[in-house]
Amino acid sequence: MTALRRLTGVGLAAWFLLPLVPLVLWAAADVWRAPAALPQQWGSSGWSAAAAAGGWAAAGRSLGLAAVVAVLGTLLGAAAAAALDGGRLRAPRTITALLLAPVALPPLAVALGLDVLLLRLGVPAPVGVVAVLTVAALPYTTYALRVALAGMDRGYAEEARLLGATPAVVWRRVRLPLLAPAVATAALLAFLVGWSDYVVTLTVGGGQLVTLPLLLGSAASGVGDEPTVAALALSAVLPPLAAALLVARLARGRTG
Amino acid sequence: MARPLPRPGTAPGWPALPAVVLVLAVVGAGLVTVLLQALGLLPLIGVPRLSGAAFGDVGRDLGTGTALSLAIAAASTAVAAVVGLATALLLTGRRWLGAAAALTVPVPHLVGAAAMGLLLADSGVLARWTGMAGWPELVGGRWWVAVVAEYAWKESAFVALLVAGALAGRLGPLRETAALLGAGPWRRLRHVTLPLAAPALLAACTISFVYAFGSYEVAALLGRASPEPLPVLAYRLSRSIQLTERPQAAAAAVVLVVVGLAVVAVAAVALRRSLARTT
Repeated sequence: MTALRRLTGVGLAAWFLLPLVPLVLWAAADVWRAPAALPQQWGSSGWSAAAAAGGWAAAGRSLGLAAVVAVLGTLLGAAAAAALDGGRLRAPRTITALLLAPVALPPLAVALGLDVLLLRLGVPAPVGVVAVLTVAALPYTTYALRVALAGMDRGYAEEARLLGATPAVVWRRVRLPLLAPAVATAALLAFLVGWSDYVVTLTVGGGQLVTLPLLLGSAASGVGDEPTVAALALSAVLPPLAAALLVARLARGRTG
Repeated sequence: MARPLPRPGTAPGWPALPAVVLVLAVVGAGLVTVLLQALGLLPLIGVPRLSGAAFGDVGRDLGTGTALSLAIAAASTAVAAVVGLATALLLTGRRWLGAAAALTVPVPHLVGAAAMGLLLADSGVLARWTGMAGWPELVGGRWWVAVVAEYAWKESAFVALLVAGALAGRLGPLRETAALLGAGPWRRLRHVTLPLAAPALLAACTISFVYAFGSYEVAALLGRASPEPLPVLAYRLSRSIQLTERPQAAAAAVVLVVVGLAVVAVAAVALRRSLARTT
């Protein structure tokens, strides 16, 4: 029984890690002819090709887009969660359903409607992309912060009030520090929505906003340039991974 | 969780307004435009006229695309559910497994698709490692294996983390009680673990299913040219230089939304039942 459990555990870890292996190998390969099991020549040609294709500028645009979506998504989500938690909102269930609804809607369908409309209204394409992706991020940020607010121990805030702290001071010195891990998680989720998007940037962006996923998409749909595809793909993994590690560390530091 | 009752309203309701207005504006404008276009009321050229022609023109493709997308979503969600549940149950005491699962969560689907291509193609890494001869057509093949594998891979980690979160701290005591009462491992799994995991599993599977059903890039990159899954059909029609195909693209988008919402509605009923059973 324990041997079987151990074997299953190893198998599951392999399932999660295996798809990332080709990325790492190809990103470090200059020449890798089939059927060799490993590259014949190691090198960084894929990275130079990715940089030459505009990888740095695209990464900058991706970072900017993800950061804006993270800030807007977290701020709007936090405000909505606080209002829902406050108990003075009318029709809280309808509002909750509305804010969670974007999870159930394919972004492509909304994007196909908006790209025509925004063109007619003369709204700049990047504004449209940010608006659609912020809406896509809101279910995650609202939910994460709503759960955190509901589970927050109110004793600390009440004690601080009894000891004479003003509501503003209670927010700054008691509530926000308690909520920091949840705010970081919400911001990470919104960041991932903005960073990972392909189809909204492609349709609503109308080619004006060339992000890292757009570069990767066009490289990956061609054939025979595996090192470049792998280098672009890894560049699109490392920043969100670093952000996720940072948030996990913050959350652990608070509770541990 | 000390929460004094009853509690006077501590925060006003108006801060919810910006989020609500943005969602209503973006989703409302997007869906209304798509619907008007699909019904012929918003042509790029010509006179608006109410008609269902756009749906009829591509009726067969819409049917095939819907069936294909539902099948892809069902297959990948089934695999993700099994793998994710197994992972969640084996997580305790295996931090490396949790780390491996958590590693895939921030990976964009497009990156997952590129990785699956490099792994599963006929000149891919697995084919090289196993000696090439007779490698099945997994990328762009008849059975959409690489597409299903990518969704299953990403979503299994999502399922695992959601289910593990729901079980954390609740499973241990209940299992011990069941063991003390004489329940064997199989009965503990069936009568304690699975009912406790069911709501989170169902919610995670619903989100995964709807995502796989409505997403474009993985199927476009790893699938075959024909038949087209619904999102691929919608996108291709929307980029056509023939302006008459725009209403058809909108029709495909309408079907995408309607079927997706129907799936969520069914899942919501099931979720309510499963929650009623466990709480």
